[in-house]
Amino acid sequence: MTTPESEPWNALAAEPMDSVDGAVMAQIATLYTAIDPVPADLVERLQFALTLDALNAELAELQQLDAMAARGVDADQTKTLTFTSESLTTMVTITPAGPDRLRIDGWCAPGSGLVVELRQVNSSVEVDTDSDGRFVFADVAHGLTRFVIRVAQSAGRTPVITPAVEL
Amino acid sequence: MGRAMVNAEAEHSTLACRAGHAFSSFRDGDSAAMADLVAMLTPILWHTVRAQRLDAASAEDVLQTTWLALVKSADKIADPRSVLQWLIVTARREAWRVSRGQARQTPQELFDDDIVSTEESPENLVLRSDTDQVLWAHIAALPDRCRELLRVIAFSDRPDYAQLARSLGMPVGSIGPTRGRCLAKLRLSLTTDARWEPR
Repeated sequence: MTTPESEPWNALAAEPMDSVDGAVMAQIATLYTAIDPVPADLVERLQFALTLDALNAELAELQQLDAMAARGVDADQTKTLTFTSESLTTMVTITPAGPDRLRIDGWCAPGSGLVVELRQVNSSVEVDTDSDGRFVFADVAHGLTRFVIRVAQSAGRTPVITPAVEL
Repeated sequence: MGRAMVNAEAEHSTLACRAGHAFSSFRDGDSAAMADLVAMLTPILWHTVRAQRLDAASAEDVLQTTWLALVKSADKIADPRSVLQWLIVTARREAWRVSRGQARQTPQELFDDDIVSTEESPENLVLRSDTDQVLWAHIAALPDRCRELLRVIAFSDRPDYAQLARSLGMPVGSIGPTRGRCLAKLRLSLTTDARWEPR
């Protein structure tokens, strides 16, 4: 039978850490930073999600199937994303529209009388939905983007906010 | 110079304490401090979550959920100095919840200590140096729980090791102030490998 004392590492385990251990721990951090780096922009995306008005909103989720597409690098294709939350479903189709520009056709359900804000890191544009819940942003730049959807003329209602996606 | 001052300086130098200060500032109304906290802690939380074998997209969602939970619970955290522990516990729990949902087809994998997940398998890695390759071979041979512990703890500072190990659900004495079982195993296997050179 193996007792703990008979394990060869047991004595080592009871010793205080020394400078070699410090070097090993530093090497471990270097190793994992190399093999599994924090994604570019992740810090920025998280900071963005924690802005004050984001915190007072109903958070929509990007549907999982769409999530892979949203995070993909295939920027030249038309893609459709669906966001769902308790009170609202929002679908957006993103189409290339000229050099470095995008067109976004969207639909909210239930959707009439809403204001959809397209928010990027340094800009924000709002449009109203039509009676069917449709909306269009005809000229959009690439970049980290989220949608904030409010009921028009209803200050008390909680807005819906989507996660940020890279367009 | 008194002992208290020395301790205070030592505390300020660790990740957990710097996080505690930023979180205190946030609670005192400095909203920019939250951005600092996110920048400071994203690496350690990323590795906390990825050690649970989540794909990158799910890991990002888990981190977002974790930070939102922090902001919602900000006033309920009794001691701001414990914010890093709180985040690690929350991120790990959320990662576990998500990965359990995803792993229904192969639930056994979550419990099997011998499997090296495909995300981490050495053939998929570009290891830049021989040191990294040797180190990786020895880390890969550790039990999963040890690998998770060392991976996460490596992104903190030594005075925080013992507390953070507890946040990861490891027993007292797993690491810090003594070497503990996981680091001792790694150290022993490294020192018996002629290819390994301590730096």
